[in-house]
Amino acid sequence: MLLFRDEEHIARWCSAWSLPRGATLSIDQGWRLAKAWYQNKMEPDWRRATLPEAEAILGEIGLTGPFWSLR
Amino acid sequence: MNEALDPQDFDTKVRLQLYNEFVNTGHAPSIARLAAVMQTPLENIRAAMEHLASERAIVLQPESREILMANPLCAVPSPFLVRAGDRSFFASCAWDALGIIAMLHRDATLETSCSCCGEAMSIGVRGGRPAEVSGILHFALPAKRWWENIVFT
Repeated sequence: MLLFRDEEHIARWCSAWSLPRGATLSIDQGWRLAKAWYQNKMEPDWRRATLPEAEAILGEIGLTGPFWSLR
Repeated sequence: MNEALDPQDFDTKVRLQLYNEFVNTGHAPSIARLAAVMQTPLENIRAAMEHLASERAIVLQPESREILMANPLCAVPSPFLVRAGDRSFFASCAWDALGIIAMLHRDATLETSCSCCGEAMSIGVRGGRPAEVSGILHFALPAKRWWENIVFT
């Protein structure tokens, strides 16, 4: 996941690398995703999220649609 | 260190030692370092690291099998630097950089640049909230493909 100044810079980057535009998140959404994914990584009882758990995390952040499907 | 107990318990002990060393020193510990600190044979640490990698808890370097990523921490230099107090850490991407701050549970700042033009950008997190700064995050790969090449993702 990369950080850009704005949508125009994303478009220019995608063009330069011949990649289709992917999906964007706000910084707040990125923070919420990072917290959900990593805030317990140093805890003894940490474990990787199951598929349904990961889907729920993405859904709660508003990351829905085909791009965000994990199946 | 009695790794003859549940292997999963030993893997957890290795994971916790690895992460604690990384956070406390600012550097990824080597397999040899972990073996010495945990007073266990090298091969036991190597095996635990391979287990953790197979479970996608960490990523290993392709040849040496030393740590490449103890996600969200990155063992090699990258364009994503997190400054937290007197420590700094590399992350492999913006998501992991924010993940480092979340994992540390402290105020910190991501210093990076626009991946298009190179203009400096930073995101400070204070009191568990990111500062209101302009910028937008972008995933190039759909979610189901993230682990095809986690380094690219």
